[in-house]
Amino acid sequence: MHDDNLISKKDVLAQMGISYGQLYRWKRKGLIPEKWFIRRSTFTGQETFFPKDRIIERIEQIVRMKEDHALDDLAQVIRRTIGDSMQIAPGNLSQLGWVDDDLADLCGVDRDDLRQQVSAHVLLCLAVLRRFRAQDLVNREELLLVRRTLDKANEVNGGLIDRLAQETVVLHVLRKRLTAAGISAEISLAVIAAESTVFDPEIEVVDSVDLAGILNRLKLDLAEEEA
Amino acid sequence: MSDDSERNRRGSASISGAGNIGGGDYERVSISGAGKVTGDITADEIKISGSGKIQGLARAVRVTTSGAAVFEAGIIADELRISGSTRSHGVAEVKELKCSGVFKTDGSLTSEYVKVSGSLAVGGDVSSEIFKTTGAFRIGGLLSADHIEINLAGRCEAREIGGERIEVRRGGWHQRGLILDGLIRIFTGSSTSLLQCQVIEGDAVHLEDTEADVVRGKRIVIGPGCDIKTVEYSEELSVDEDAKVGKERKT
Repeated sequence: MHDDNLISKKDVLAQMGISYGQLYRWKRKGLIPEKWFIRRSTFTGQETFFPKDRIIERIEQIVRMKEDHALDDLAQVIRRTIGDSMQIAPGNLSQLGWVDDDLADLCGVDRDDLRQQVSAHVLLCLAVLRRFRAQDLVNREELLLVRRTLDKANEVNGGLIDRLAQETVVLHVLRKRLTAAGISAEISLAVIAAESTVFDPEIEVVDSVDLAGILNRLKLDLAEEEA
Repeated sequence: MSDDSERNRRGSASISGAGNIGGGDYERVSISGAGKVTGDITADEIKISGSGKIQGLARAVRVTTSGAAVFEAGIIADELRISGSTRSHGVAEVKELKCSGVFKTDGSLTSEYVKVSGSLAVGGDVSSEIFKTTGAFRIGGLLSADHIEINLAGRCEAREIGGERIEVRRGGWHQRGLILDGLIRIFTGSSTSLLQCQVIEGDAVHLEDTEADVVRGKRIVIGPGCDIKTVEYSEELSVDEDAKVGKERKT
């Protein structure tokens, strides 16, 4: 890990406006992984450093979610990893309250199938499509494109959900208008890429979704159902 | 050798002479002689007042030991009260630990409330919400709690200490008389009661008789008897005239 990507503990506290007490508490609750604490000797004595992007993102997430959830629930949510093989009972699904027939159709899931069992990947697809649909910026063809893109992403490197545990990826829906000889056409693209990806200036980013964020919300919903 | 152990499906077991019982699910287990539990055990209550050895993992609501107890594969309990000497290997998850004897574990201790008035030795980390000691302790890793209250009465060591409020007060011979402490200092080269630590970090830190490489915090009081190489603070710092501070830096 390169030093540029590290931030000292006291800089984290100053930048995020949190206290030592909070940071140690979150560590104890398992909200911040042990391996993110990197101890180094510096000229001022021993100091702890963190992978900068990850710690800041995690603290923002904790601060945002702690309003609505007890710390222990939060720990459960963040610590729990839904493996792709995890099957969610149909009771849970309908209790989520937001899986409607339209979403099921969009996801290519048979409504009878919903009453049976659905993999974590399909759940993620449902949650992502729901989020895009709620913003209403993306048209129906593009929603279907998103669905196919998620499936394709799930085929590589041991599945999409595993990948989300390791990196922050965003699903962008893009449009580009091509004009030539008086004829113009618009094409839509769905891209799963790093948050900082740059597109050419003619591309319009229609809507973007942080996939790990969606997954965490989903886990929260399911954890609450279990509790 | 008298063997007077009994066991039902979810009954109780008691060893009052010398004997063994197998693991299993019990309501109450009581060992008052010399006893051994040979497997994993689950119980509402485990009471050891003689010499007891539990070879499997012990899970219980309440565990009381007043003799010599050994948990060879760890202990998970809501409440652990120790007035004798207790050793544990592996996991130690105890919501409430009250120890007026000796507790040693080679692993980490996870708790919510720890009160020690005897001695505590932990190989790994100690995590709790409240941590109060009057006595001695040795912690191989990080001691972390919201509120840490250490009354020095013996040698206390931890690699690191972190939390919201950290209070270390001198005690032991200091309370009983400076002459005796002075004598001990002459013979041993140091006070009997002190805290040694590499790093201490907290929002409100009050230290006495503490040796540390680095102390960081918002509001820091370095009291008498301290020897601190570096202090970094963000709001307030006060240093007693009977304390040594190498470098101080406001951040």
